[in-house]
Amino acid sequence: MATVIFYILGFTALAATALCITRRNPVHAVIYLVNAFFALALIFFLLGAPLVAAWEIIIYAGAIMVLFLFIIMMLELAPTEELRGPGWLRWGPVVLLSAVLLGCTLLLIVAQPMAGTGEAAYYATPRDFGYALFDRYALAVQIVSFQLLFAAVGAYYVGRVERGRR
Amino acid sequence: MNASLLFLIPLLPLACGAANALFGLRLPRAVSVSLAVGGAAGSALLTFVLWPLATGEGTTVTLYTWLESGTLQVPVELLFDRLSAPMALMVSCVSTLIHLYAVGYMKDEADYARFFALLNLFVFAMLTIVLSDNLLLLFLGWEGVGFCSYALIGYWYSETKNANAGRKAFLVTRVGDVFLGVALLWLFSLFGTLSISTVNAQAGVLPAATLTALTLLLLGGACGKSAQLPLMTWLPDAMAGPTPVSALIHAATMVTAGVYLLCRLFPLVSLSETGLAAIAVVGAATALYAATCALAQREIKRVLAYSTMSQVGYMFLAVGAGSVSAAMFHLLTHAFFKALLFMAAGCVIHLAGGENDIHAMGGLKKRSPLLFWLFLAGALCLAGAPLSGGFFSKDGILLAAFAQRTPLYSLLWGIGVFTAFLTALYTFRLLYLVFAGEPRKDLHGHALPKTMIWPLVPLALLGLGGGLLNLPGLLGGSSWLHHFLGPLAGESPEVSHGLEWGLWGLATALFAGGALVARARYRRFKPGREGAVRRFFLGGWQADALVAALILRPFAAVAYFFWKGTDDALINGVLDGLARGFQGAGERLRTLTTGRLSNYLMAMAWGTVIFLGWFLLRTLIP
Amino acid sequence: MIVPMGHILAFSAALFLMGLACVLARRNLIMILIGVEIMLNAVGLTLVGASALWQAIDGQIFVIFLMAMTSAEVAISLAMVVYLSRRRGTITANDFDGMKG
Repeated sequence: MATVIFYILGFTALAATALCITRRNPVHAVIYLVNAFFALALIFFLLGAPLVAAWEIIIYAGAIMVLFLFIIMMLELAPTEELRGPGWLRWGPVVLLSAVLLGCTLLLIVAQPMAGTGEAAYYATPRDFGYALFDRYALAVQIVSFQLLFAAVGAYYVGRVERGRR
Repeated sequence: MNASLLFLIPLLPLACGAANALFGLRLPRAVSVSLAVGGAAGSALLTFVLWPLATGEGTTVTLYTWLESGTLQVPVELLFDRLSAPMALMVSCVSTLIHLYAVGYMKDEADYARFFALLNLFVFAMLTIVLSDNLLLLFLGWEGVGFCSYALIGYWYSETKNANAGRKAFLVTRVGDVFLGVALLWLFSLFGTLSISTVNAQAGVLPAATLTALTLLLLGGACGKSAQLPLMTWLPDAMAGPTPVSALIHAATMVTAGVYLLCRLFPLVSLSETGLAAIAVVGAATALYAATCALAQREIKRVLAYSTMSQVGYMFLAVGAGSVSAAMFHLLTHAFFKALLFMAAGCVIHLAGGENDIHAMGGLKKRSPLLFWLFLAGALCLAGAPLSGGFFSKDGILLAAFAQRTPLYSLLWGIGVFTAFLTALYTFRLLYLVFAGEPRKDLHGHALPKTMIWPLVPLALLGLGGGLLNLPGLLGGSSWLHHFLGPLAGESPEVSHGLEWGLWGLATALFAGGALVARARYRRFKPGREGAVRRFFLGGWQADALVAALILRPFAAVAYFFWKGTDDALINGVLDGLARGFQGAGERLRTLTTGRLSNYLMAMAWGTVIFLGWFLLRTLIP
Repeated sequence: MIVPMGHILAFSAALFLMGLACVLARRNLIMILIGVEIMLNAVGLTLVGASALWQAIDGQIFVIFLMAMTSAEVAISLAMVVYLSRRRGTITANDFDGMKG
């Protein structure tokens, strides 16, 4: 059962990514990409990484893609002309993909597809994760936090509006 | 009597020439000119004073070693013996007289320092040739006279004609110098030394073929300097130089250098029968050729140039017949009367106001009787008037040729006899056209300065009385020159008295015949149209055209091919093609730098793919 | 593991190639950056799969670091897109050809 779900999720992710990279409208691309990330998060869960799955949603789909949307909207980069063609051709794929993802999520919550697959051997609880992260990789955590600070400062500097211009 | 004073003989003119070259224009004219004349005169005086050193075996002196490299030892060595002493005396005395003449001739010239420096330098080089005992030193002098000749012929270089004449002289004599150079190298490789005494002494050890080859090479070198066939085209054009130059270089000294070389190396040359025959043939052929050309010339100096060529041919004939004394005798008398004739010709041109076409002259006897008598003296010697110097010397040569009694030499004797007739003919033609009758053109001449006419007198006396130098026994003389030269004199022809009288009668008859024919034709002469035959002889049997067609034009074509065909097309083409190829490739490669991010990313991606693929293949394929 | 590692790798490779195609073929700067995101995700998938295969947690830890770096990178790159958009008024990659030879 977990295997079947994995394949379904896999094809969903591939389809979503394929659609993403072929959109002319960046906003559409971002939406499809969010779908793909959602599928990937569920796959991560199936592979025994619930924490990583959560972070995939929170950070990737929730922060980074939203940031993309911010920028696209701010710079008004999306073409505003109406797409031709019937409405279901525009909405159909994303609705389908989202429905598949919803179904898989419900299945994962309700059923126990992971039972009996020997998953417990590689299932990483948050506790194990925390121990490993702050025990063995503490220095890396510090460095990465510095890096985030630099990035923030850098992003501010590059993106500031200079006085005297416009 | 210090033997090392001998070095002053060539070095005195060198010093005076150098002084003139360095400071000549800064000194007053009189001082500069006196330096020049003094250099030559001092040389003559020294030769005269040191004459006793030349008797017997002669004197050899060494100054220092010029070159020393491995087995090559070239000392600066002079040999003052019975052959070089008379020659040196002649060269220095005639040079002195010509220097005096040049003082008057060049009195209106502003650039006199260069002229006199070069003239002195020439005397130095010529004396080096005469006195040197080492072949390389002789070659130094040889090249020196070549250079001075070039510089002096082209003295008035601002006219292209003169510069071209100088260059032609230099290049043609250079061809001869190549032969001489090869002979020098060969002699060095054979003997290990370049000393003339050694070469002459040891010449007997060489095989006959080598001797013949060496003689022919030396003949080639001599032909260049002495303007014999086939290297004679430069001498008529060399008359573009000032008259003193023609008198000194192209009458008395440089053109006789070839004869002197053969006489100096006579012990080597005489060992080769073929070589001697070749020398005689060249001499006789040139004598005939030049005499025919002289008959047709219109410029007075060109007549004398061809005449010189002809007389030097006689000297070659003498050497070829084995008689050095006859050759040297004729060389000495010829120097006297030919220098006289050239200088007189200069005076004639001066009197005629710059005109040198004899068809336009005439009646100059009335203008300057003294000049006429002097010119007549020279002309009589040239034509071989009985009892003049020229008569005895020319007859000596013909006697030597006759005495050989082989078919070849008899033929050459015949040519010599016919040429003597022609000589008399053209000489009297010259006399009649220039001096006799009425002027054919209105000539406004200038008066002759003293220094131009008085040096001619000693030469006239020497020329007429020159017969005393080698007066044959039949007339009571002692053949002084022949005995003086001693072992260096070559063969002495033995003929019966009757034969000798017969030959003298023949010579006199030729002289008279030539004079009478000339009188008949040229006494009352009206210049008319020139026929094709006359034009042929006027152009020197079209030798210049022949040289141009045979040598110059193919050479120019080859050079043009190497320029356009090889250098331009091949080398430049390859280089330009290469450059253009690279440029084109660069242009095409430049299109790769689009500046677009996508293209660069694509390139990176492809690079990574290839890289990884390579590693993959390496692991897959053992 | 629920699926053989080979399948996960194949899946991940397909995602990576799609991301690469997006980067190379699109001219919009935003789309290029999105392509980069896709590639990074594919790598994350590989890491998680490997972590499951070797039953070690280090793969997942690396994924979290990856995500942190990605957010930093996206922040700066989008700031630069903003800057370029303000200066040039365009974000088509082909318009920035100042390095053209």
